[in-house]
Amino acid sequence: MAETDTKPRIPVTLIEPIDMSRLDPSFREEIRSMPDADELSACFACSTCTAACPIANQWLYKPHQLIRMILLGMREEVLNSKEIWECLTCFQCQERCPQKVRVTDILFDCKNLAAERGIVPEKIVALAKELVDKGQLYVVTADWEREDLGLEPSVPGLSTEAVKSILQGTRTGRLTKGGD
Amino acid sequence: MTEVTKTVDYPVLIIGAGVAGMTVATELADSGIKAILVERQLTAGGNALDLYRAFPTDDCFYCFEGNRWRPGIRKCFYRSALIDQPNLDLRIGTTVHSISGRPGQFLVTLRSAPQYVDPKKCTLCGVCIEVSKAFSFPSPQCQPQCVVFNPALEDDRAKEAAQKCPTNAIDLDAKPREDSLTVSDIVIAAGYHEMKPSSIDEYGYGRIPDVVTQLEFAKILDPNGPSGGAVVRPSDGKPARRVMMVQCVGSRDENHYPYCSKICCVFALKHAVVAARERDCSQVLVVYMDIRTYDRHERYYREARESGVDFIRGRVSRVEAGKDGGVDVTVYDSLLDRYLRFSLDLLVLSSALEPAEGFSDLLKMVGLSASRGYVTPLDIATEEEVVVGAGVYACGAALGPAEVPESVTQARAVVMKILAGRR
Ligand SMILES: Cc1cc2nc3c(=O)[nH]c(=O)nc-3n(C[C@H](O)[C@H](O)[C@H](O)COP(=O)(O)OP(=O)(O)OC[C@H]3O[C@@H](n4cnc5c(N)ncnc54)[C@H](O)[C@@H]3O)c2cc1C
Ligand code: SF4
Ligand code: SF4
Ligand code: SF4
Ligand code: SF4
Repeated sequence: MAETDTKPRIPVTLIEPIDMSRLDPSFREEIRSMPDADELSACFACSTCTAACPIANQWLYKPHQLIRMILLGMREEVLNSKEIWECLTCFQCQERCPQKVRVTDILFDCKNLAAERGIVPEKIVALAKELVDKGQLYVVTADWEREDLGLEPSVPGLSTEAVKSILQGTRTGRLTKGGD
Repeated sequence: MTEVTKTVDYPVLIIGAGVAGMTVATELADSGIKAILVERQLTAGGNALDLYRAFPTDDCFYCFEGNRWRPGIRKCFYRSALIDQPNLDLRIGTTVHSISGRPGQFLVTLRSAPQYVDPKKCTLCGVCIEVSKAFSFPSPQCQPQCVVFNPALEDDRAKEAAQKCPTNAIDLDAKPREDSLTVSDIVIAAGYHEMKPSSIDEYGYGRIPDVVTQLEFAKILDPNGPSGGAVVRPSDGKPARRVMMVQCVGSRDENHYPYCSKICCVFALKHAVVAARERDCSQVLVVYMDIRTYDRHERYYREARESGVDFIRGRVSRVEAGKDGGVDVTVYDSLLDRYLRFSLDLLVLSSALEPAEGFSDLLKMVGLSASRGYVTPLDIATEEEVVVGAGVYACGAALGPAEVPESVTQARAVVMKILAGRR
């Protein structure tokens, strides 16, 4: 055996496989312990979730592939994927999964894990900043619209102060200050 | 060996006259044991009546090779045995109302619908059918071979039909019957029901007329069926040349039935081969997540590929009614990782096989409870898979989805058990 060790290695295949020893098998358990992810390993790779998804045709990683990647332990790829943020949270995948895997909820768990590590797309951070700064996402910008409808210019009784101060103490608040 | 110690004269009650129940009843009767075969429909035969052609012999299901030696009308032994075997008492239109007593001596009450036409007298001359709509002939394979009268369709001319019957077989004043009797053993052979998948929204069943189930498709393929065996669209009767099948509809699904219905892959392939080879279908597709052609049935899978059937590993995204009838279907192909769009004439759903209607009530009567809807053997570890309680047996699809040969084998095991118990 020692003899062969010294010879240059001839590759078995010309493609570069994923080196399984570099993946993180604890990722599966970590996700599984998060809210509503306990049925994760029930996935039998039927791809119904992807068939149901109204946006996955745009994605490099389809919903069933993301689940598969979690099961294999592809932590970096999943948490850095744009797909988890582009999910419309329409819940169609979750509704139709024959094994009761809560796909949408699991994508939420992934977003939370990614956010913990500060991996949040810029546009999402911008939205969060808007929310923390203004206490609401959709601010009345054109009061003539309200006037046309016969409404007073500003929304009566609207108070965003409480929302703002609560948000500032949350992870959303910390994220908008550049993460922690 | 000691002498025979015991003789029991009570008959055996068999509930359900599908292939399983018919086999138990005829074989017990042939062995000299009185058998009461109860069937709630007006004809014996069960689901197999509608199968057109059956694997593994591609023959009429009545005529499996092993039965050919029997004398009977055409090749079908059940036809004569069910009616002519004196130990066999077939009661159609009958249900079990109650069961009490103990093993060896069960007391049962049976309720029978009025028998308007006497099967022993009816010669199938067809006079009554011509006179009144209330009379019909259920199927060329029906047993007993006899017309049926449907009181819900009774018209002014029903009485005239009764008078014109040359053999006086019709009695429109027939009354329902209730019988109490004692039986030694009970055989549950109530079979299965094909789930109507209307609750699974995305397939459009019940909403789009050209979406059908496999059992409905079998009737379309059947030369004795309404289209004479031509594959047509239910919506407008036009030829259906592009057909897609979808596997695992309601099976292997925690929201419906968690189990694999076991035989739907095989019968889908059987139908796909018939459609591709013997009918006018230019495109036959099967959408699947796993193809499960257990033991000897793998040959149907190969045959289907050789016949030009296309297999798509994936799931259905959307189903919509087509502009000129038919169906438009989007499928996600998980191997290609692309979404495919098809214009089709017919979408055939391989829907889950669920327990017969009222099955859990029937089990309750004998003090059993259902598991996964079906009845389970008392002791799964032993070979006695047909023993489900003391003096209570089950066979065929009542034990879970099963093909005909398996149902017949189980039925024969029940017969052996009952015969052994009487020695
Ligand atoms: C689309 C399709 C294609 C198939 N093709 C094939 C094939 O090619 N080859 C093959 O081997 N198998 C095939 N099968 C399977 C086959 O139909 C079954 O194996 C067979 O019919 C089982 O027979 P059974 O007697 O157990 O049940 P069933 O045929 O279901 O008979 C049960 C009988 O019991 C009666 N019953 C139910 N409850 C009661 C009650 N409470 N009181 C009184 N009577 C009752 C019912 O009315 C029925 O007549 C196919 C199935 C489907 C759905
Ligand atoms: S639908 Fe459910 S079981 Fe199927 S691939 Fe998606 S997560 Fe897995
Ligand atoms: S919830 Fe997200 S992943 Fe699921 S179907 Fe909707 S967009 Fe696709
Ligand atoms: S007229 Fe009498 S014998 Fe003729 S088919 Fe009708 S019931 Fe049978
Ligand atoms: S037999 Fe085939 S179609 Fe039927 S449930 Fe099993 S895998 Fe699905």
